[in-house]
Amino acid sequence: MNMVGVDIGGTFTDLVGVLDGEIVSSKTSTTPADPSEGVAESLRLAKCDLPGLGELLHGSTIAINTVLERKGAKTALITTKGFRDVYAIGRGNRIEAFNLFFHRPKPLVARHLTFEVDERLDPAGRALKELSRGGIDAVVKAVLDANAASVAVCLLHSYANPAHERAIGEALREASPGLFVTLSHEILREFREYERTSTTVLNAYVGPRVRDYLGNLETWLRGERFSGKMRLMRSNGGVMSASMARSQPVSMMESGPVAGMIAAGILCKQLGIEQAIGFDMGGTTAKSSLILHGAPAVEEGYVIGPLASGQPMQLPVVDIVEVGTGGGSIAWVDDTGGLHVGPQSAGADPGPACYGRGSDTPVITDADLVLGRINPKRFLNGGMPLDVEAARGAIKAKVADPLKLSVEEAAIGVATIADANMSLSVRAVSVNKGVDPRETTMIAFGGAGPMHAVAVAREIFIPRVIIPKLPGAFSALGMLMASWRQDFVRTIVGRLGQLDPSGVATIFKELAAAGDEQLKLDGVARGIAKTQFNADLRYVGQEHALHIPVDGPDMLTGDVSKIRELFHVEHDQRYGQAAAEEALEIVNIRLVLTAPRADTVAEESMSRPWTPTSDAPETSRKVVFGDPEKPVDARILWRPSLPAGFVFDGPAVVEEPNSTILIHPGDKARVTDAGHLVIDVAF
Amino acid sequence: MTPETSSAAEAHPITVEVVRNAIVAYADEMGNALCKAAYNMMIYEVRDYCCGLIDLQGRMISQNRGGLPIFLADLGIAIEDGVRRWGLDGFAPGDVLIMNHGETCGQHLNNVVLYCPVFFEGEIVAFTANRAHWVDIGGARIGFGSSATTEIFAEGVQMRSLKIYEAGKRNDTLWQIITDNTRFPDAALGDMRAQIASCQLGARRYVELLQRYGRATVEACVARVWDQADLAVRKVVEKIPDGVYTAESFLDNDGRDLEKTLRIKVTVRVKGSTMSIDFSEMNPQTNSPVNSGRSGGVAAARVAFKALTSPDLDVNEGCFRSLEVILPEGTLVSARPPAALGLWSIALPTTIDTILKALAPALPEAIPAAHKGDMGGCSFYGVTGDNQRFLLMNIFGGGWGGRPHEDGEDASVSVCQGDVRNSPVELQEIRYPFLVENHRLRDGSGGVGKFRGGLGVELTYKCLVPCQVNINFERTKLPPWGLHGGGSGGANYAIIRHASGAPETRVLKGTQIPLQAGDSVAFFTAGGGGYGDPGARSKAAVENDLREGFVRVSAAE
Repeated sequence: MNMVGVDIGGTFTDLVGVLDGEIVSSKTSTTPADPSEGVAESLRLAKCDLPGLGELLHGSTIAINTVLERKGAKTALITTKGFRDVYAIGRGNRIEAFNLFFHRPKPLVARHLTFEVDERLDPAGRALKELSRGGIDAVVKAVLDANAASVAVCLLHSYANPAHERAIGEALREASPGLFVTLSHEILREFREYERTSTTVLNAYVGPRVRDYLGNLETWLRGERFSGKMRLMRSNGGVMSASMARSQPVSMMESGPVAGMIAAGILCKQLGIEQAIGFDMGGTTAKSSLILHGAPAVEEGYVIGPLASGQPMQLPVVDIVEVGTGGGSIAWVDDTGGLHVGPQSAGADPGPACYGRGSDTPVITDADLVLGRINPKRFLNGGMPLDVEAARGAIKAKVADPLKLSVEEAAIGVATIADANMSLSVRAVSVNKGVDPRETTMIAFGGAGPMHAVAVAREIFIPRVIIPKLPGAFSALGMLMASWRQDFVRTIVGRLGQLDPSGVATIFKELAAAGDEQLKLDGVARGIAKTQFNADLRYVGQEHALHIPVDGPDMLTGDVSKIRELFHVEHDQRYGQAAAEEALEIVNIRLVLTAPRADTVAEESMSRPWTPTSDAPETSRKVVFGDPEKPVDARILWRPSLPAGFVFDGPAVVEEPNSTILIHPGDKARVTDAGHLVIDVAF
Repeated sequence: MTPETSSAAEAHPITVEVVRNAIVAYADEMGNALCKAAYNMMIYEVRDYCCGLIDLQGRMISQNRGGLPIFLADLGIAIEDGVRRWGLDGFAPGDVLIMNHGETCGQHLNNVVLYCPVFFEGEIVAFTANRAHWVDIGGARIGFGSSATTEIFAEGVQMRSLKIYEAGKRNDTLWQIITDNTRFPDAALGDMRAQIASCQLGARRYVELLQRYGRATVEACVARVWDQADLAVRKVVEKIPDGVYTAESFLDNDGRDLEKTLRIKVTVRVKGSTMSIDFSEMNPQTNSPVNSGRSGGVAAARVAFKALTSPDLDVNEGCFRSLEVILPEGTLVSARPPAALGLWSIALPTTIDTILKALAPALPEAIPAAHKGDMGGCSFYGVTGDNQRFLLMNIFGGGWGGRPHEDGEDASVSVCQGDVRNSPVELQEIRYPFLVENHRLRDGSGGVGKFRGGLGVELTYKCLVPCQVNINFERTKLPPWGLHGGGSGGANYAIIRHASGAPETRVLKGTQIPLQAGDSVAFFTAGGGGYGDPGARSKAAVENDLREGFVRVSAAE
């Protein structure tokens, strides 16, 4: 089948596709006014024929940008009486502890658009105060009178019993069919009222805009005689149907960065790698994610925007740790003589000094160029010659002179600090989950990832680095491999060993039924779907729970020795200690429903035997690795011309159209049968 | 107090930056390990902990980000005490020490420090340490807010640099003492396990750094990081006009003698690049638990100083070199033994606000009006139907003061608390026998001004079983003040409504107040002070306040 993935980012629209078994790609500027123009242009550039396309995968920043720019719909919020301000109060915390001028998250719904309804449930879902017909009518009228385009409903303890939310939702939908209605239990049946409210409001706030956007895009596609499926990339690492995206747009907040980690996971499966770290370094940040058994870690709880003042979102998100170190990160000296790299970035325009657009601010790419690591003539496949003197001048003026260092010494310092910063972030993703980086492999991609990967790996003793084929387009490729995925959660709090078996069994049944319904809605065959239940468990008294896989209700209500053992092992691995004698408590039961793609053309492209596509000869040049005074002669190799099985030692620089791989003295590299580059790191 | 430059000459600027980032990342990693595995809300929600690397002289190499602001480079005193007691050669690999001694640490006994010596190439080179708030440490105090004690001996078990593990072997006697003398031993021991794992993790990381760069280089880099922090801070202090600045305020009372207010008086002297904060005229220590040891006074001075000079810098020894704290013995914030310390932090938010007030005329753009001014918590204690002891604790936010160019934030925790979270209503109702009747902003509580103070909150608990509550509100006689013409915020109070039909009672302080099933307690927290002349408030802001209901109509007019 022919298919393409189109990822619309803030600056560029990237396309990667598989057409008749061949990988195609294109890159064009994003067209913010009407993003479908950029989609059309990227399809045209890739010579892609819409009627011949079976599937279009789409990742978009429209949802997250709507929040960051605060350009969402006029949104109303309905709460339980007495709790109108739960959303405004939040958790009261001040993350910037010493900042007297701190800001906390600013609500997306005005207080005068927040309406209370007289009803009350207890934690078991029993009505302490029934919802009356009059109450429903009054609140529906208030919402309509306020002229809201979207409404979020989040009632206390609705995760335990959604009846009241449902009744209000039905009345709203009946009264105003065009109104965008989001009921909290439909997207998150989990306790903690503030986080659930915030997630529900986010969905309501972006809903109308995403609905219109997807509608326009589909209309255009159908007009171009596209008859295939359109699916959307979501933050949990899976894809969903367009109709799901219209009702749950909040789940597509973080789609772009996630796809690369999915591709890294699939590469790990192909190569039989159990523990890996995906490392994606671009222009402004470096992202890393722990990949176990071929899948990146997924966590609940995420903040849209700055950590201290952003909007909390409680749905599952691929766990990516980000640090403000990218090719464009600025090197600067503070007024006490401290040298720093990032987190500010030069951005695309004017960009690094070496772009020759008049910037005199040195960035990491300038340092790499000064050190001879980047070929000024082959940047972007030769499409953009780089100005070495401009890079030297910027580093001299802003770093070398203030610190009384030579230009090379300053440049190696910038690279060293960047590598050290990224290594701390990469290490955090592994050690925070109890995994020793020495027992992992790094999968490195993104524009700048292959340049810095080996140094980052060496810093924390990761023994092996793999640079996949097409490292620059790896993220977009990931979209073509992602499974369909839907997450479900139900809160049930109680001690293991004292749970009511019939209650637990009912929750499993209801979760399974909800899953079946979603499969049906999205047209996914039951037979190919994979069902994974997890229990959130903790020691009694703890707050933070661990996800433990369970087969079914019996593991929680019958003989619990097996699940206890699984929990102790996990706790010991994460936190370095366990308490085998203590009681366990369950908090939530989760269902992760996935359905793999029927075809595997994108995967096959990664494992297909590699044959060189060029015969460019090897050259050599002086490159600085350790000692700035003593550049060494490095082999300069053109990746498209390296045959499978080719083995070589560092120092070497492997150049390819959109990326450069740096291999240090002592490291050993080889090209696999499929064309990936495997580097064994010397310590 | 001159910058130490002797050893710093050896530190290469690039290595300095690598070490600077690494040492903070290690402390953060320690904090993460502690927080995630902890057993009590004071750690996992209130983040009432700190973690750090300490050198052999007790100086703070680095401290985690995101813990409680008032724990500012104060782990060192616990370790200095241990070094005096055992001698540097008295530590062995595998030792873990426990420390909460009131006289030395100066804080309530619930704040328990765990620390480990770090060995490298056979030599002791540093310590890793953390302090965390245990939910109970025995004694007469239950939860927080009790005003009953007058001596430290009533406040729980004291452990002074005792080895809970000696060369890797557990001290079962001490373990048993902890188990038998605390109300919630599972939580205490669970927290202790998390604290120990956190210390051991920090020690492993620091050794990795020493292996990489060598001890001399790392120590030279650390000295340089301190020097740079010091230099950065001095550059800010230099911009404050030289002078002597004083301010005075007071607390309502000590919780025992309700008529007598407690004087908070500070004198700040700025000269060149140094600042001194003088507490000589503070109220003497009290015959109540509203006292702290020296560490309380030092913490208040340091929080105010840090907020003004280096809010973004990571915490280390260097941040405070240009600050002198003048703190004679025997005051409210430097109490002598055997003073009770149970409410050690109560005076600190007001003390910090008062330091800021002193400097407000000199720094009108850098200092907001007074904030809610107390630690804001409640604690209910009782026994459930199935005979389980329970202790519900929660932290409330309140209003912050108006700012030079915008209104104060609503419903936020105090200046002494950072990433401290209130407890979700749904979580509390799942766990404890209470029905929460409302949780909302307290309209009209923000002080008037060109820029209004933020709003306090209202939170009402209805008890489903008989229990006891501690209430400890402060700053009711002197509510959060305005600046430059702004008005005061609404004061804290609580109301108890009785199921029996007895008239409701207004309570500001009370220890172990008995409640019956069906009684309810409504907490109203303070709003922030206003900033600037209320007459200068923009029309749009007034209209918004009215539309959103943030002010009462009479106040807006």
